[in-house]
Amino acid sequence: MIELIPFINILILIIFSFTIIIIKKDKIVKFMSLISNLAVFILSIFLLIQVLDNGTLLLNLGKSSSLLGIQFYVGPMEAVLSVVFTFVMLMILWFSYSSIENEISKSRISFFYILINLLLASLLGVIYSNDLFNSYVFIEVSTLSACGLIILKDKKENIKATIKYLIMSTIGSGLVLMAIAYVYSITGHLNISSINEVIISSYQNHNNAVLIILGLFTVGLGIKSAVFPLHSWLPDAHSSAPTPASAALSALVIKVYVFMLIKVLFRMFSYEIINDFIIMDIILLLGSMGMIFGSIMAIFQKELKRMVAYSSVAQMGYIVFGIGLGTVSGTAIAVYHIIGHAVTKSSLFLISGLFIEKTSSKKIEDLKGIGKEMPITLGLFTIGAFSMVGIPILPGFISKWYLSLTCIEVGRVPLILIILASSLLNVLYYFPIIINGYFGNENLEGKIYKSKKIELKRLMPVFLLVIAMILIGAFSSRLIDLF
Amino acid sequence: MDIFILIPVLLPIIAGFSLLVFKPNYNKRNLIVISTTIINLIFVLFVVILKKDTSFHIVRINEFLDLYFMPDNVGKIFAALVSTLWVFTVFYAIDYMGKNSNLNKFFMFFLITEGITIGIALSGNLITLYLFYELLTLSTFPLVIEKGSEKALQAGKKYLIYSFFGATMVLFGIILLFSQTQNLSFIPGGVIESMPISNPEFYLLIYLLLFLGFGVKAALVPFHSWLPSAMVAPTPVSSLLHAVAVVKSGIFALGRMTYYILGWEVIEYTGGNDYMLILVLITILMGSFLAIHQENLKKRLAYSTISQLGYIMLGLVIFENSSYLGGFLHMIFHATIKITLFFCVGAIMHYENKTELHEIEGIGKKMPKTMLSFTVASICLIGIPPMNGFVSKWFLAIGGLEKNNYIVPIILLLSALLTAAYLIPIITTAFFKGKPAHDVKVSEPNNFMLIPIIVLAAVNVILGFFPNAIITMIQIAASKLF
Repeated sequence: MIELIPFINILILIIFSFTIIIIKKDKIVKFMSLISNLAVFILSIFLLIQVLDNGTLLLNLGKSSSLLGIQFYVGPMEAVLSVVFTFVMLMILWFSYSSIENEISKSRISFFYILINLLLASLLGVIYSNDLFNSYVFIEVSTLSACGLIILKDKKENIKATIKYLIMSTIGSGLVLMAIAYVYSITGHLNISSINEVIISSYQNHNNAVLIILGLFTVGLGIKSAVFPLHSWLPDAHSSAPTPASAALSALVIKVYVFMLIKVLFRMFSYEIINDFIIMDIILLLGSMGMIFGSIMAIFQKELKRMVAYSSVAQMGYIVFGIGLGTVSGTAIAVYHIIGHAVTKSSLFLISGLFIEKTSSKKIEDLKGIGKEMPITLGLFTIGAFSMVGIPILPGFISKWYLSLTCIEVGRVPLILIILASSLLNVLYYFPIIINGYFGNENLEGKIYKSKKIELKRLMPVFLLVIAMILIGAFSSRLIDLF
Repeated sequence: MDIFILIPVLLPIIAGFSLLVFKPNYNKRNLIVISTTIINLIFVLFVVILKKDTSFHIVRINEFLDLYFMPDNVGKIFAALVSTLWVFTVFYAIDYMGKNSNLNKFFMFFLITEGITIGIALSGNLITLYLFYELLTLSTFPLVIEKGSEKALQAGKKYLIYSFFGATMVLFGIILLFSQTQNLSFIPGGVIESMPISNPEFYLLIYLLLFLGFGVKAALVPFHSWLPSAMVAPTPVSSLLHAVAVVKSGIFALGRMTYYILGWEVIEYTGGNDYMLILVLITILMGSFLAIHQENLKKRLAYSTISQLGYIMLGLVIFENSSYLGGFLHMIFHATIKITLFFCVGAIMHYENKTELHEIEGIGKKMPKTMLSFTVASICLIGIPPMNGFVSKWFLAIGGLEKNNYIVPIILLLSALLTAAYLIPIITTAFFKGKPAHDVKVSEPNNFMLIPIIVLAAVNVILGFFPNAIITMIQIAASKLF
């Protein structure tokens, strides 16, 4: 029974999402989405325990090597990711129950929950799949449901952002599909493990084809995961979406594609093959540029959500950077950063949503003195920002530390400067918000203490996310050892 | 009972947060703040006297994220210094800050900073120290911008950017070091087991990164300019920033790095200390020269601090027993001297609303006790025997001579002259200018302010006459190093 959990997870989410369609009452819709996500979260924990006890779990649906065969592969990375993703999604849902009415019209609320369920199902699908075509299908489902989530708000900017996103990610999907076709034509397989077996023995005969495949995968998945300089859709999409949706998009969706890239690079090919190709240096370069330019662009943003969105571009840079180092430890840090950033960024986005709701302004400059009006909320934001800046023990610091050590390990010491410069740049855009929020007489004048307080009930999910973030930092070495 | 050592760090932090939670009124808040610092002083003295050099692990996440405390003699002296001066400052601050009701936040950060500084003192390895070092920046920042004006915010931003820049350099150094040694504990003589014959440049890079990085907080030229800007802070804060909390934490971290992480033999082998000696000598001279030109009294003292910190850093770049001793002594003596000077200037600012040199004509007749204390402290700082400043400078000069480095004593003498040049005018203006004495009504500061000033001035004199107890303690620490 337990080995079926990956399948059951996806099944539960999809079945519930299609049941929600026929239900009219919002309360029941919310309840059902809660039940399904809670169930998936608990099952994921069981799955993790199972994987930790018995090692990697392979689930065959149909024949594994034939064209139609679907295989799920759940190693420690996948199991941990699915626990974290379902947890974050659960918190986002919890948050949305009290806030979603403020952002989207009442008639569309059930759509929101349908799409969220579908989105999580497809994300888990991409994580679990050990089959290229199956992954591709799930990628498409996730893109479409993400588009749906952005456009739910029905404003001009949302429609523009969605079209932009749709076009860009369709290009991405097309490139991925082409890459899959190439792989199939060379190896005759779609199963990642089978491809690996074939490719290890024969890749030298297809040097150019392998390079093309790698390029297509990198660019295709790079567009979807907003790797600099392919990120231009992200700030619009993530800043215009309803707050819970932006949190889900920034924290989870873009991460999945990058995880897919990890699978392609290191499981379908292997570390030995990959390091023969120039592609790793390019990935490293893209990551470095993302870390620096994402942060620089974030500094110039006037709107809070756009700033946080650009910060995501920078953080994706860290993940891609870790991949680009091309070692086992680099990949482990990349996956660790996926986890740490999922928790951090979702809490930051949810808090930004609260600020925007209470001040009814998107502008950063209207947040002056917010620390007096919403002290606890800004306090949580501060902890998240500390992680981004890299205060020890918080996940952001851990990622930077291990990334730097890996840089030394592979003999690329100057790259550490990029990591450190990026964390200094993070200071420049996160700290002004905190400083102007808490300090400065001109900022605090006329503000009434706790006048915009948020009920504890609504803050609870953010609290839990921040606690999870601290725990992820505190137990970092155990997590990284798993990968 | 190892957990006992956590109390000096946690008590002020908890008391600080309790101010935020309970929002006590003026009297209760004063009671909490005063009793916390005094009780904490007692606990620190307990630790100093009773604790042997045992370590206490707070959390051990893996081989590098291993936070623990280990009080050795060096740390104990620093912790005792911090907690003693904090008690004086609390009394002073309560009078200086006035009865303004919304000062709970100020005193919260005030107390938290004490806990964090003691955390730096007691840290057992570099990563613990780095954690508290970052926290120190964050907890002192609200104190610097306490006035909340645009100028204060600008100064605060400068402080923050400089500090984080320094911390980033430090982190870079730590990462490089950790990749080589896998060990960041403080061990007398350093963690590097054998001389880095194959790659001295790599260790040179580590040393320079760490020295310049920690040097930002220690106001090493060219990273000093945040310190004069940070003078917008209220006087109790600037005196603490200067005398103990921030700049001395920088110095303390430098000392830990030099003698307990890299080890002076390794540094001498790489030759890095020679480069740093040049910067340190520039710091000494430049601080003094700039101080002479300052009209604003607080700024004058700020530049004086930069110069005096250079003296202390001499003990970190000249590897001689006497230099170490002199530098360490000067760290303590400068703390007590500079805090006295700041308190006096602050008293003038608070009661007479005068900040510039030409404004204070005749103030010595109005506030004779205050200005007398100022005079005593000035004489100490200039280093006229048998004051305490003389003792430390003497050892520093000897250390330079032992290394056959004749430029050090020359610069020390020159700078002593300059010190006189920027301090004596304050005294002469205060006592010998303005209206004759019988026209001026004496009005001294409130006792809350006056008593700390007088006691601290007396402490300076006493330390000058009887420095032996401290010298013995430092010699014990030094004996493990040389």
